Amino acid sequence: MSTARSGAPLPYSDPRHQSAEQFLVEEAHLLDTSDFEAWLGLMHPQIRYRMPVRVTAVKATNEAEVQTMDHFDEDWYSLSKRVQRFGTDYAWTEDPQSRIRHHVSNVRTFEGDDGELVVESAVLLYRSRGDRTAPSLLSAGRRDVLVSTQDGLRLRSRDIEIDESVLRTQNLAIFL
Amino acid sequence: MEPDVIDQVTASVRQGLIPAYLYNDAEVHELERSRLFGRAWTFLAHDSEIGHPNDYVVRNIGDDSFLVTRDGDGQIHVMFNMCVHRGMQVCRAERGNARTFRCPYHAWTYKNDGQLAGLPFHVDAYGGEDGFIKEGQALLRAPSVATRNGMIFASLDPDAPDFETWLGDFAFYLDFYTGQTEAGMEFRGPQRWRVEANWKIGAENFMGDSYHTPHTHASVVDIELFGEPKPYKRKEGVLWNAGPAGGTTYKLPPGSDFRSGLAYVGYPDEMIDRMEHKLSGAQRALATEPGFMPSASTLFPNLSFVHNWPQTDADGRITPFISVRLWQPVGPGETEVYSWFCVAADAPDDYKAASYKAYLMCFGSSGMFEQDDVENWVSITTMAKGSMARNLLLNNRMGLTLDGDPIIDQFADFGGPGTAYQGFGEHNQRHWFSLWADLVSQPAPAREPIAFGMGETPA
Repeated sequence: MSTARSGAPLPYSDPRHQSAEQFLVEEAHLLDTSDFEAWLGLMHPQIRYRMPVRVTAVKATNEAEVQTMDHFDEDWYSLSKRVQRFGTDYAWTEDPQSRIRHHVSNVRTFEGDDGELVVESAVLLYRSRGDRTAPSLLSAGRRDVLVSTQDGLRLRSRDIEIDESVLRTQNLAIFL
Repeated sequence: MEPDVIDQVTASVRQGLIPAYLYNDAEVHELERSRLFGRAWTFLAHDSEIGHPNDYVVRNIGDDSFLVTRDGDGQIHVMFNMCVHRGMQVCRAERGNARTFRCPYHAWTYKNDGQLAGLPFHVDAYGGEDGFIKEGQALLRAPSVATRNGMIFASLDPDAPDFETWLGDFAFYLDFYTGQTEAGMEFRGPQRWRVEANWKIGAENFMGDSYHTPHTHASVVDIELFGEPKPYKRKEGVLWNAGPAGGTTYKLPPGSDFRSGLAYVGYPDEMIDRMEHKLSGAQRALATEPGFMPSASTLFPNLSFVHNWPQTDADGRITPFISVRLWQPVGPGETEVYSWFCVAADAPDDYKAASYKAYLMCFGSSGMFEQDDVENWVSITTMAKGSMARNLLLNNRMGLTLDGDPIIDQFADFGGPGTAYQGFGEHNQRHWFSLWADLVSQPAPAREPIAFGMGETPA
C-alpha cells in the first residue's frame, strides 16, 4: 500500500529512524542466516512486496509508463509459499545454499500517514553459489512502509527498484 | 568445425546420443550462430507490445539487434538496428513511442518505417544525390518476417521456408497458448535475465521432458502449489510432436470434455465461453475423454511455452497461466532468458490478475518452478566444458529399444495431430535434435554484400 511520505528525512537521532534502521539490519541478518520463517514473521498480513522489471527507455519517456512486468508482486500467501518451499527437501537451487550477504545502507526515514514510517534504503546483495560459477551482485533501492504493532515494527509494503534491466543472477531464489 | 566432425555429431544426435560438449563449446556455438540462427524462424515480439501507433521495441536474434515498430498507419516493420552510415545502434532504448529515430553519431534520421528521412549536410558534405543517393534508402529490413496470433517472427534468411508451411501442425497447438479467444492476447514483459547455461537445454526441456518434473519440481508439489507433477500423474500425460515443435500434456480427469477440462484447470466460465467459440471442434476434442491439457512445449529452435494451473490463494483457487519464453544464446555457456506472461485480451480483470500471480509464483525470474530448472541447466553447462565431456555421449533415447524401435505404440486416441506417446520418453527431444542436425549440417548460404547510397536500392 502506498503511503505518502512527508517532509524531510527524520534526523538520525530520532528514535523512529533508529528503530527503522535497526529493523532493516535485523531483517538482513535473518535473510543472511536463512531464517526465513522468522523473516516472514516480520511481514504485515497485508504485505505487498513488489519488484518491477526495469526497462531501458529514452530520457523523455517516463520509465513507469513502459513497465509492464514485475519480477516479484507478492502478497502474504505467495511469500509464505516461497518460504515454505525453502523448507522442503527439494529446493535444489538453494541446496547447497548460496552464500549471501545483504549490505544495507543509505537509510532515510520519513513520517508517513497514520504513524507509519516510510523508509528508503539501498541494498547490495552478494550471492556466491558452489565453486564453479562467479558470484553475482544485485543492487537495488527499496522504499518500505513500516507499521508499528504490539509485536514491534512490521513491513507493510516494499517497492524494490532493481538496478539492472537484465538480471545477472541465475534466479531470484532470494529476497531483497 | 570440420565437415566430418559435423557429420559424426549430427548422425549421433539423430540416434539419440548427444556429445556432451555440445552444451558448452565455442565451435558449436559458432556453427549454430551461422547455420541455425542464420536461417531459423525466430520469435521477436508480440503485436500487443507495440499496441499503439509509433510504438517500438528492440529485440535480438543472436547478436543482431532489431527494431520492431508499428508505424503511424499501424503497419509493423522489423529492421536491423544499425545505422547504414557508420554502424551505430540507431535505437538504444528497449521500448517506447517514436515517429523517427535519430542516430546519435551523425544525426542520420530514419522514420519508424525505416526510411531514411534526412542526413545533415547532404548537399555540402556529399554533393547531394551525386555523392549519396538518399532517395529510397532505409534501414536494412529483416530478410523474412511473418506473424501468427499476433506473434512476430523473423528469419535472417531471405529464402526462409514459408512460415505457415514450416509451422505445419504446430498451429493446432499454438492456439492453446496464444490463440485462445478472438480478441487475441496481451503480452506482459519480458523479464530478462542471464544464466550460465547453454540455450539448447531449456528448449529441449520444455519440448518434452515430463520425466524431470516429478523430481526437479517435487518442492512445488510438497508445498501444494501445483499438484499435477506427482509422478503417477505426470506419466499419464501424452507427449506430442507436430511440425517443428513438440510438447507435454497432463491427463484430465476421466470423463472430461472441453468445458469441464478447462474448468478443472481453473478457467472461469467467461473464458471457457470465448475459448469454445474460438477453438475448432478438433482443438476442443483434445480435452475430451481421454482428455489432455497442453502444458509445456517448444517451437524449434528456441521459443517455449508453458501452461500450468497452480493454487493462487490461501483459499485454494486454481488459476491457469501462460508464459512464452525465448532462450537467446549469448555465448557457448550463457543464455539470456526472455520470459513473457500472456493472457487473453478480453479475459475478466480478476482472472488476469490471478493468472499473472500464478505466473510470477511459478515461472520467470522468481518462479518457483524455474528456480530449480536453471540450477540444473547451469550445472550441465559447467560439466560440459571439460575434457571428459568431449567423448561422453549423453543418452537421449528414452522410449526406444536398443534396436531403435519404440517401446510402446503411438497413442491412438489422442485428439491432436502429429505423433503422440503416452508416458515418459525422449521422442520430442530427439525430434528437436533432428531439426538441429538438419540446419547445422548445411553450410550457411552465401549472401551478397549490400551497399547503401550507391545507386541500387537494396531489396
